[in-house]
Amino acid sequence: MINLQDGSDRAATAGEFVLGTLSAEDHATFVRALAQDPALRAEVHAWQDRLLGLSVNAAPVTPSLELWRRIDSSVATARTAREDRAARVPWWHRVRLWQGVSGLAMAACLVLAVRLAASPGEPALVPALVPAPVSASVGGARYLAVLQSPDSLTAGWVVEVQASGRLRLVPIAPIGVIPAGRSMQFWTKAPGAAAPTSLGLVRVGRSLELTVTHLPGVTPQQLFELTLEPENGSPVGRPTGPILYVGRTVAL
Amino acid sequence: MPTPVSPFNYEAAVQACARGERFALQALYEREARWLLGVALRIVRDRERAEDVLHDGFLQVWQHASTYQPNLGSARGWIYTIVRHRALKEIRDPGRMQAMDPRDLTTLSDLQQAAEAEDRGLDIDRLERCLQRLDAARRACLVNAFVEGYTHEQIAARLSAPPGTVKSWIRRSLVSLKECMT
Repeated sequence: MINLQDGSDRAATAGEFVLGTLSAEDHATFVRALAQDPALRAEVHAWQDRLLGLSVNAAPVTPSLELWRRIDSSVATARTAREDRAARVPWWHRVRLWQGVSGLAMAACLVLAVRLAASPGEPALVPALVPAPVSASVGGARYLAVLQSPDSLTAGWVVEVQASGRLRLVPIAPIGVIPAGRSMQFWTKAPGAAAPTSLGLVRVGRSLELTVTHLPGVTPQQLFELTLEPENGSPVGRPTGPILYVGRTVAL
Repeated sequence: MPTPVSPFNYEAAVQACARGERFALQALYEREARWLLGVALRIVRDRERAEDVLHDGFLQVWQHASTYQPNLGSARGWIYTIVRHRALKEIRDPGRMQAMDPRDLTTLSDLQQAAEAEDRGLDIDRLERCLQRLDAARRACLVNAFVEGYTHEQIAARLSAPPGTVKSWIRRSLVSLKECMT
């Protein structure tokens, strides 16, 4: 049984926790206590730093080249603690849920909003969600993707792919500033494709329009993303920087 | 001796991981993987399992980066605890105990000296000074627990002392270490 009331017992137990000498049962009790006790968390961090120097007693060992690839691919599909928290926020705050569970309804709303805004001779019922020059063409869209920030879960761009093969990337929210000397690069990856394909560099707040005939075609659940890259784009032909916005297509 | 200052900002890197920036995890990996693999290998004593531990550890760092609180302590200490605890879980899971290959013992002890030469911006002077104030047997308890991942019982067997004694030595050593280092 561990005692977390007395000061020096608390310190010793926190030290033993970091060291790893608590019994399995005491370790589990301690972990539960940590969740409710910020001062105990501080004690643990202090021990982590006090004992860190003991790690010099273990000689370094160079990992196999394969190890980073394994970690990187696990990370790509891992759910993070932040996403778990996000999963608990009200559903109406979560674009991701709209995309996942009722992506079609989300897309339909956007198209409807755009069409209403664009209907000639009728007052727009919805204030211009999408800039006017784009809206006229959305009627022919076959696929739509809402790209959102993985960090803030807010939508920043809409990708619209028309039957004719024209693809538009349209900003729908102010997204701030890209650091000097960096660019935003636009990518797509079909389900099952080995690697993303670059669709070019994107300027903040500006639409991009291109023809996708050189792509293998656009499918439902196709990934589109914007990543932060060096000024002239990724030098290696695949994303190297953080994902700024990401989303998947839904068929209309 | 001047205190070496590490130019790498571990806290910023973990916070970047929390924002979903994968290059930050890669930067942490490039900087610490071989040291962390050394720490994990010392505990699990099997190269493949040590790499599995590192894989899981880095995944945990990524997944829990948003829970790291920089005001409480260093990000490097946080990462080492994640990896060490993952390694300890590996060897203590029931049914997964593995006898050590006697050859590993020599390899491990041969390698041991190399670690101390390189400057990694770790402030070990104060720890070293405070450890020296403990008597040799008690100091060995702490080092064995940290480096080898030994339990009270394993240390007790090595020192031919009762486990209860080892436990109280460790706890008292920790309390005096804290006093000395604070």
